[in-house]
Amino acid sequence: MVLKLAIVGGGPSAFFVASRLQKLLPTSNFRIHVFDRLWSPHGLVRYGVAPDHPEVKNCTHIFDKAAEDPRLRFFGNVNVGDSLSPIQHTVNLPLKSIFENYSHVVFATGCTLPKRHSELPPSEHCVSALSLVHWYTQHPNSPAPPQLNKLDHVSIIGNGNVSLDVARMLLTHVDVLRKYDVPERVLEVLAESTVKHVSIVGRRGPLEAAYTPKELREMIELPEASMVPLDPELLKVPEGLKLARTQSRAIQLLNKGPKQLYGTTKKTWSLDFYRSPTGLVLPTAEDPRCHLSLGHTMVNPTTQRAEPTGETTVVPTDLVVTSLGFHGEPTASFFDPGLGHLRTLSNRVITPQGTTLRNVYASGWASTGARGVINSSMMNAYDVAQTIISDMENPPAIEEAVLNPEPPLEDIPTEVKQGIKQRNVVQYDDWKKIDDEEIRRGEVLGKERERMLWDQAKNFVGARA
Amino acid sequence: MFSTARTVLRRTVRPLSAAASAPRLHIANPSLGCSRRRLLHSSMVCRHGGIDRPEPGTGIKLTFKDSKGNDIRTVEANEGDDILSVAHEYDIDLEGACEGSVACSTCHVILQEGVYDRLPEPEDDENDMLDMAFGLTDTSRLGCQVKVTKEFDGMTVTLPAATRNMFVDGHKPSH
Ligand SMILES: Cc1cc2nc3c(=O)[nH]c(=O)nc-3n(C[C@H](O)[C@H](O)[C@H](O)COP(=O)(O)OP(=O)(O)OC[C@H]3O[C@@H](n4cnc5c(N)ncnc54)[C@H](O)[C@@H]3O)c2cc1C
Ligand code: FES
Repeated sequence: MVLKLAIVGGGPSAFFVASRLQKLLPTSNFRIHVFDRLWSPHGLVRYGVAPDHPEVKNCTHIFDKAAEDPRLRFFGNVNVGDSLSPIQHTVNLPLKSIFENYSHVVFATGCTLPKRHSELPPSEHCVSALSLVHWYTQHPNSPAPPQLNKLDHVSIIGNGNVSLDVARMLLTHVDVLRKYDVPERVLEVLAESTVKHVSIVGRRGPLEAAYTPKELREMIELPEASMVPLDPELLKVPEGLKLARTQSRAIQLLNKGPKQLYGTTKKTWSLDFYRSPTGLVLPTAEDPRCHLSLGHTMVNPTTQRAEPTGETTVVPTDLVVTSLGFHGEPTASFFDPGLGHLRTLSNRVITPQGTTLRNVYASGWASTGARGVINSSMMNAYDVAQTIISDMENPPAIEEAVLNPEPPLEDIPTEVKQGIKQRNVVQYDDWKKIDDEEIRRGEVLGKERERMLWDQAKNFVGARA
Repeated sequence: MFSTARTVLRRTVRPLSAAASAPRLHIANPSLGCSRRRLLHSSMVCRHGGIDRPEPGTGIKLTFKDSKGNDIRTVEANEGDDILSVAHEYDIDLEGACEGSVACSTCHVILQEGVYDRLPEPEDDENDMLDMAFGLTDTSRLGCQVKVTKEFDGMTVTLPAATRNMFVDGHKPSH
């Protein structure tokens, strides 16, 4: 049986599926082609993971190794699907071409859009955490930089790890960030920042918060910012309640309190539990500040849901950042609006009609939704690789066929061939040259790397070809 | 096959990332049975390509087992090697996605109670990462942080249960 696999998306889950297949299938007669609409590989490892977490990015060495295997090819700046690409300069590859050119496909497209809050419409005063992440990682979506020189108080809605990443970026001294992978123009904005307080708002309490102890510890140990003391009542654990390991460690950390005493630092931050936004009044000619209404909540012990108590506080603030998780793209094929990502059953994609498509799979956040760290994406990807192999050995009966059972192994889709000719497609060798050059440019500036923009990368590769 | 992995890892050593993580540098008492932590990042990257295998019959014996308790392989290591490096050297199926910098938990292993109890307690950052591990047990550790010593000759290292279909939306796996 032929295995010519297209992987749509080039984030960690794509490369983990690929490296697992390479390991489990010692034969030379299969091919894996990875497509990403971004010109560079590695998805959220490049355009998500916080700059001050360089160790997390070491997993790219595993991806490099997978890409060095002659059975794999990477095509960056290629948007797969039938809807318009959010990035203008991509080569567009309709799904039909994938189906014609490949015997298998894995959707590893992640969850690329931020969840919104119904009471907080986006505006220049209310942005998603993802747009700030895209700003400080120089993502090709290129959102406008935040006007940090005009802000004093920032409210982050949601208390997961991404909230804390953004908070750390705002509360860490710019000189500490200079040595990391933070683009120069981002550093310029951070250097001008007048942010004094970051409030992290959560609907529920300390036991339900979504951050992990590692990220909470980093906040607590921030050298230049102190935490507003929590009401000790909040940290009391109801008697008889058995805490999960992460919960008790988080409570311990909060009990220990911040490294810097409150009042001794210029910058402060707070965990504002049991608060849920009910509205935002934007600045007017008379009043330059935003006013965020926060409804007070309590957790219903039976349902574990946050319920309003009826009280409300109005907080003057300058920027509201929503950090409520992510969902897939509603225009993507096989997207399930109820789930917010693709519908799968045992790693196989399910159509809206409820049928399984032969050899069509999904992996990573595209399949599981936006939860878990790279470790969980890896475990899921390994499982997907295993499913692909066992389906080759014992094809499941109930299926509709959409792919080409016998595609020529070396062929690449015409659109991509064309794109390569026009130098609009980045292959892994190109990426490694760019990668080395980014690191070299970084070295000159005394930092981990200095990122390129698409035009720079394209010119750089073109000039070297 | 393994030698390729080693050269790849060596090739990608980046002194600058060492500089980047240097502020977190922190070396615990090296006489403890636990690996010296946060050695300079770059040297960790080098090390995790593999170890030098001891002459057969002269090394410290370790038996790797799968989650069901079946033996995978008994191997020999040197005093001071960490479990992740040993696993890599002998091609045991243990990842190490962050290359020993306590940032991923993909090197999670389960130790015997007797061994676990005699090791110094995991530090905060190892505990932070263990929080994220799958199939955590009372004797779980990060393989990259546990150093092999003579005292533990003959020890067993169990790989955690591979979590199949853990995210499937309420459906039972079909195989
Ligand atoms: C801000 C942030 C910080 C994080 N920090 C950490 C951390 O410190 N440690 C950790 O362990 N985990 C972290 N995570 C989680 C981790 O990034 C994810 O677990 C992991 O990236 C999921 O991998 P994936 O391949 O499923 O998705 P992604 O990494 O999102 O990759 C999906 C890829 O698909 C591409 N794509 C989408 N649609 C198309 C299309 N139509 N055509 C072509 N390409 C397409 C996208 O461009 C993207 O590159 C973080 C996540 C976020 C959002
Ligand atoms: S290798 Fe990442 S934590 Fe051990």
